[in-house]
Amino acid sequence: MSVLAVYSIKGGVGKTAAAVNLAYLAAQEGAKTLLCDLDPQGAASFYFRMRPHSKYSAKKLLKGGSHLENGIRATDYNGLDMLPADFSYRNLDIVLDEQKKSSQRLGKVLQPLHKEYGCIVLDCPPNLTLLSENIFFAADIILVPMVPTTLSLLSLKQLYTFLDELGSGREKVRVFFSMVERRKKMHQQMMQAMGGKQGVLAALIPHCADIERMGLYWQPVMAELPSSMAAQAYRALWQELTGGDTA
Amino acid sequence: MNSGEDTWIIPETLARSALEAQLAQHFDLEALPEYTAVVTYVDTFDWRLYQAGLILHVHQRSWSLYANDGELILLKGGPQCKKACSIDVFPEGPMRSTLASVIGIRALLPLAEVELQGRQLHLRNGDGKIVLRLVLEEQRLPGETHSFRMARVFPLRGYDEELAAVRTLLQAQGIVEPVSPLAGFEAGCLATGRKPLDYSSKFTLALEPQLTAREAMQRVYGELLTAMRRNFPGTMADLDSEFLHDLRVAVRRTRSALSLTKGVFSVEALKPFKQGFAELGHATGPTRDLDVYLLSEEASLARLHPELRSGLQAYFTDITRQRRKAQRNMVRFLGSSRVERLLLDWERFLTATPPPGGPLADKPIIKLANRIIRKHSQQVLRDGQNLDANTPDAEIHQLRIDCKKLRYSMEFFSSLYPEDAFAQLVKPLKAVQSILGDFNDLSVQQELLAATIRHQDLHKEAKETGKGVHRNALQEAEAEQVASLGALMQSLYEQQQPLRQHFAEVFASMTSDVQLELLNSLFGKQQRQP
Repeated sequence: MSVLAVYSIKGGVGKTAAAVNLAYLAAQEGAKTLLCDLDPQGAASFYFRMRPHSKYSAKKLLKGGSHLENGIRATDYNGLDMLPADFSYRNLDIVLDEQKKSSQRLGKVLQPLHKEYGCIVLDCPPNLTLLSENIFFAADIILVPMVPTTLSLLSLKQLYTFLDELGSGREKVRVFFSMVERRKKMHQQMMQAMGGKQGVLAALIPHCADIERMGLYWQPVMAELPSSMAAQAYRALWQELTGGDTA
Repeated sequence: MNSGEDTWIIPETLARSALEAQLAQHFDLEALPEYTAVVTYVDTFDWRLYQAGLILHVHQRSWSLYANDGELILLKGGPQCKKACSIDVFPEGPMRSTLASVIGIRALLPLAEVELQGRQLHLRNGDGKIVLRLVLEEQRLPGETHSFRMARVFPLRGYDEELAAVRTLLQAQGIVEPVSPLAGFEAGCLATGRKPLDYSSKFTLALEPQLTAREAMQRVYGELLTAMRRNFPGTMADLDSEFLHDLRVAVRRTRSALSLTKGVFSVEALKPFKQGFAELGHATGPTRDLDVYLLSEEASLARLHPELRSGLQAYFTDITRQRRKAQRNMVRFLGSSRVERLLLDWERFLTATPPPGGPLADKPIIKLANRIIRKHSQQVLRDGQNLDANTPDAEIHQLRIDCKKLRYSMEFFSSLYPEDAFAQLVKPLKAVQSILGDFNDLSVQQELLAATIRHQDLHKEAKETGKGVHRNALQEAEAEQVASLGALMQSLYEQQQPLRQHFAEVFASMTSDVQLELLNSLFGKQQRQP
C-alpha cells in the first residue's frame, strides 16, 4: 500500500490515534514512511512533539516540490518522517479551490514523494469538502474508523453517497470498529449487523485508557507500550490491511 | 566512503562531562546508557562494505551495521564470526538483505578488534522533541592506552537550525578537527597488517612509458605474484570461492603475459616458470569448475518445474561432495614444496638485477605495448568479422580466447594510455566478452550435464540386463535425477541459442569507424578493415 488515508466525517473517533500507530508500524516493518498531518488541529503533530517550520503553510503544501519537502521533519523514530500540520491548513479548501484540477492537486504533490517513501499515511480532518475529494483521489486505501453507534452508521452512509457522486472510491474504503466497548449492547448489536459486510475489517480497536493516554506520554502506544492490548489491536489491524493474517 | 564530515576529534583537554554541561545549557540532554564492548570489525577481503560506506561490527552475536547517513541496522542473535562467515548464515531480515546486496558471494572476515566506549545523547528542544543525536565515543585497540576520542553528529531531517547551533557550540569547545569514524578500525587493521582498500581484484599498475620492457614486465609480474600470494591463505582455508577465483586469474594473467611478451626475458630462463604456472592452473581447475556449478545452484533450481527440483538437489549434493574432494586435493598440491619453490624462484627471478633478458628486453615498453595490443586487436577483428548466428562453437571458443588475450594486454598496459580513450576502447570489448562468456558458461554446463546423464544411463542399462530387475526405489530416484538433469539441460540450451542472434550486433560495436580510428590513434599503424 502506498497511500493510506485515515479518514472520518465525524471527529473524536480514534482517527489520529490510528494514523499515528499505523504509520509507526509501517516504519517498523522497514518501509520508509511519511505521516502527513492534514488536520489543522495538529493532533498527530502534537503526539510527535512536532511543530511545523515557521515558513511552512497550506500554500507550500499545495505548491509541492521543495516547498513541501522542506516542511518534512524526522520524528524520533527510525524510518518515520512527518509533515506536521500548520494552522494555515484551516484554509486548505480555499487554497485548493484556486488551483487547476483542484480535486487532484494533493495526489499530484504527493506523487514525487513515492520515490523516497514506501508508505504515506494521511491523517485527515473530519469533514466532507474539496480537501476530502483530494484525499479520496490520492489514497489507495481510505481507512474509516467507526465507533459502533447508529450515528456513525449515518455518517458512513454519507461518505458512500459522496463517493458515489464522485463516481469512484467506494472500493478503496475499509471500515474498522474503533473505541469499542464490549459491555455496551449497542456496540455489540451494531458490530453484529455490520460484520462481514464489504470493506468491513475484522480487527477492531477497543476503547482503552492506554490510547487516550498517548497525549500524556507523547508517543505512539506501539512505541511506549508495545505489548499492551492496544498495541496488539493496532498490529492486528495493520496485518489485516496489508494482507497478512489477522492475529 | 564515509566522508567523516560529521565526526570530530574531541581534544584531549576537553572532558566529556564539560562538553555535556555546555550542551545542557541549550538543549534538554537525554543520555542513553553508557556502552563498553570489544567489537570485531568485519568486512570482505576486498573491502566491499568499506567502499559502500558501511561499517559492520559484531560483539558476540550482536551485529551492528552503520550506514553513512547514520542509519543503523541491528541484529541480535546473529551468527558468530570466528574465521569467516557467508551471507547464508544470517537470518532473513534487513541485515541480511542489506549485506547481501553489497558483499554478494564474498565471505565476511573479522579484520580488527577495537574497544568501544561511549554513549549516545539525545538533544531535545523545549517541546521534548529530539532535534539531533550525538554519539561521544572512545575507540581503543585492546591493551593500548591511546584512544581516539570522537564526537559523531547525526542530524535529523528538518532541524537544520538546531544542527547549526550544535556545530557552533562544538567549535567553541575546540571540536574542529574532522576524523574518520573508522579511525579505531583503521588502526586495528594496521595492527593486523591490513589497510582499507589494500586489495582489489582489479589489475591496476602505473607504468611510465620510458620504462624498458624488462623493467615494466618485472613490475607486471611482481604485481600478479603479489595477487597470487595474497589469495593463497584464503584459498587454502576455503574462506570463500573468490580467493581461488582471484588466484586463478592472477595465474592466468601471468601465463598470458608470458606468451604475449615473448622476447622480453630469456626463453630458456622462463621455461620452468611456464611449466610451473601451467601446472598451477591445471591443479586449481577442478575445484573452480565445481564452484561455478555450485554458484549456479539456486538459479538452476529456479529454472525447473517444482516437481523436478528434488532430482536436481540430489545432483548438487553430489557436486558438493566432489568439490570437497577436489578442494582437499588442491590444498595438498598448493601446500607442496613444489609450489612453494615455484613462487620463491619466480620472485628471485623477478628481483634479480637484472633478470636475464631476451632480444626485446631493452626496448621501451610503450613500443612493445603498442605492438602487442595492435596485433591482438587485429586478431580479434579478423576472427570476429564472420561471427554470426551460425558460427560453429569451436570458432566462438577461439574468439573468446583471443578477446581474453587482448583484454589482458590492455589491462597490463592501460596506464600508458589516455584514460578516457582507453575506456572507450575497452567498453565494446567487454560487451563482446560478456556475451561470449555467457555462451561458453552455458556450453560448459550443458556438457557436464550430458556427461552425467550418459553415465547414469550406463548404470541403468547394466541394472536392467541383470536378472530380476524391477522398479525399485533406487531406480526411481535415478529416473527422477535424469529427468531433472534433462530438463535443466534443455533450459540452458534454450537460453544459450538466442544469444547467437546478438553476436553480430554486439561485435559490430567493436568495428565502428570511431573505434577503428581510436585503435589507430592509440596504437599506431593502419588497422586492417574487417
